[in-house]
Amino acid sequence: MTFDTSDLVASLPLLFLTVAGIVLLLLDAFSRVVLVGREHHLKLPAETSEAVAVPPPGSRNYLMPVTLLFLLGALAIIVWQVGTLPETSVTIYRGMLVVDRFGLFVIGVCVAAAALGIVSAPAYMRAHKMEFGEFYALVVFALCGMIILVQAADLVSVFLGIETMSLGAYVLTGSWRRSARSSEAAMKYFLVGAFVSGLLVYGIALIYGVTETTSLIDIKRIAMSRGAAPLFYIGWMLLLVGFAFKLGVVPFHMWAPDTYDGAPTPVSGFMMSCIKAAGFAGLIRLLQGTLPMLARDPFTGWTFVLSWLAVLSMSLGNLAAIKQDNIKRMLAYSSISHAGYLMVGVVALGTVGDAARGPLLFYLASYALTVVASMGVVSWVGCDERGEERVRLSDWAGLGKREPMAALLMTIALLSLGGFPPTAGFFGKFYLFQAALGESKLLWLILVAIANSLVSVYYYLRVITAMYFREPAPNPATLPIQSTAMKVGVLVSTLLVLAMGMFPGWLSALCAAAKF
Amino acid sequence: MQLLVQNLLSVGLHHYLILAVVLFGIGTFGVFMRRNALTTLMSIELILNGGNLTLLAFARSHQDMRGQALALLVIAVAAAEAAIGLAIVVGVFRNRHNTNIDELNLLRY
Repeated sequence: MTFDTSDLVASLPLLFLTVAGIVLLLLDAFSRVVLVGREHHLKLPAETSEAVAVPPPGSRNYLMPVTLLFLLGALAIIVWQVGTLPETSVTIYRGMLVVDRFGLFVIGVCVAAAALGIVSAPAYMRAHKMEFGEFYALVVFALCGMIILVQAADLVSVFLGIETMSLGAYVLTGSWRRSARSSEAAMKYFLVGAFVSGLLVYGIALIYGVTETTSLIDIKRIAMSRGAAPLFYIGWMLLLVGFAFKLGVVPFHMWAPDTYDGAPTPVSGFMMSCIKAAGFAGLIRLLQGTLPMLARDPFTGWTFVLSWLAVLSMSLGNLAAIKQDNIKRMLAYSSISHAGYLMVGVVALGTVGDAARGPLLFYLASYALTVVASMGVVSWVGCDERGEERVRLSDWAGLGKREPMAALLMTIALLSLGGFPPTAGFFGKFYLFQAALGESKLLWLILVAIANSLVSVYYYLRVITAMYFREPAPNPATLPIQSTAMKVGVLVSTLLVLAMGMFPGWLSALCAAAKF
Repeated sequence: MQLLVQNLLSVGLHHYLILAVVLFGIGTFGVFMRRNALTTLMSIELILNGGNLTLLAFARSHQDMRGQALALLVIAVAAAEAAIGLAIVVGVFRNRHNTNIDELNLLRY
C-alpha cells in the first residue's frame, strides 16, 4: 500500500480547514476565563459545581477575524486549485474523494457563504448574551464535513461527510444554551438527524451487500452490467429518504421550520445556505454514481418520485409561509419551497442531462448568498431588552424609517428570494426553468414551479410593505444591533446578489465550466 | 429435533440479515412510538446496530474487509452522535426539567 503525497496537495482545502478548526478550538480553550459563583447563573441547576468558568464579555472578539482569515485562505486555496486542475477529475485517497470543478465550485460557495455569515455572529452573540467561543471552530468543522460530502466518490465518504457536517450543526443549533427555544430546536434536529444517519447506514449496507463495493463508480458499473436487485432499490430508497430529510424536502421537512426558527440566527443562515448547498451537491453525486438507471422518461422511475417531492415541497412550503407572522419562520418555510425548486433542477439533471448542471449550480449559489444576506438583516434588527429576538412582522413595522439601510438590504434580499429582476434569484429561476424546458415532458413541473414562485411573491412583499408602509409601534422596544462587521457582511452579500443579477454572465459561465 | 440442531448449526447470511431487519424495525418503532428522548436515543442506536450487522454479514459473505472497516467507522460516528445527543438532552433538561418529546412545543405553527 503506497501513500501518495499528491493526495495531500489535492485535498488541501480540507486539510487547511481541519487545521484551522483545531487552531480555533485551542485558541478558545486557552483564552481567559473568569470564575463566577452560582448566584450569577441562576439558570444552572444546583448539581453543577459552585463556581463555573465563563469567558469575560468580549474576550473572544478576536476569534471572528481569525476565522474570517482562515476562510479567506481556504477560498484562495480553492481558487488556486481550480486553476491547476487537470481536465479530467482526480480521485484521491484510494477512491474516497474526487477533486473536480463541480466539487470545488460548491465548496467555494459554502466557504464564501460561511465567511459572510459568521461576521454577524459576534455582535449577535453579545446582544443575546451567549458568548460561545467554540462557535467558530464548529462552523469550520462543519465546513470540513461539507467538503468531504461534496467531494465524495464513495458511499463511505458520503456518510462520513454528512455526519461530520451534521454533528457540527446540532451543537451550533443548541449553542444558545440559556434559550429553551434553541435547545428544543437542537433536540428536534438531532433526533431527526440521528434517525436519518441510521437510515443512511442501513441503505449503504444494502447497496454494499448487492454490489460488493461502496465506490460510486464501481456501483454504477456493476448496476449497469447486471441490472439491479430489489435490495439495491430498497437501499437506494433509504439513501434518498435520508437526503430528503437532510435537505428539508416535504414530506420529510417537519424538523426544518422549528430548527431554523429556534437556532441562533447566524446559525440558521449557515444551515440554510451551506448545508443545503452541500446536501444537494452530495445528492447529485449520489445520483450520478448509484443511479444510472435513472429513467430519462419523467413519468417513470426515480425522476417521477423526485418531481413529486419537488411539487410537494414547493407548494406546501409556500402555503405554510403565507400564514407566518414570524419572519425567521417564514424564511424557514421559504427555504423548504426553495429546496423544491432545487429538486426541479435535480429532476432536470436526470432528464435533460448535463445541460441542467450549470443552472442548478447558479441557483444554489444565488440562494446561498441571498439567504446569508436576509439572515444577516434578521440578526441586525436585534433584540428587546430581555435578549429575545425581534422577528415578528409587527416588530419590523416602520423599519424603513428607523434603520433605512437594513430595510433596503432586506428588500433586495427578499426580491431575490421572490425571483425579481435584477437580482440573482431571477436569473437562478430563469436559467433553471429554461434548462428544464429542454425536455418537453417536464412542462407541467415548470408550470407548477412558476405558479409557486408567483404565490411566494405575496409573503415576501408583505414584509416589504410592513417595513416601508406600516407605522412603527409608538414605543418600539427593538434595539438594533450596531456592528460594523455585521453591516459590511450583509452589504457585501447583498451587493453580490445584485451583481449576480445584473451581470449573470460571469457566474453562469463559471457554473457551466464546473464539470464533474 | 435433529432438524432444529441442523438449522442452528447452519446459521447463514440470511439469519443475520433477518436479525438486522428486526433490530432496524424495533429501532424505528421505538423512534416513532416512545416519547422519552433517552429511549429515542437508544432506539436510534438499535437502528445503527441493525445497519452494522447487515454490513458485517455482507462483508463476511463477500470475504471483503471494506464492510468491516465501514462498520468500525459507523461505531465511531455513533459514539460521537451519542455524546452530542446526551449533551443536547442535558441542555433541554436544564431549560425545562423534562425530556418528554411531546412537551417540546415552544416552536410551532
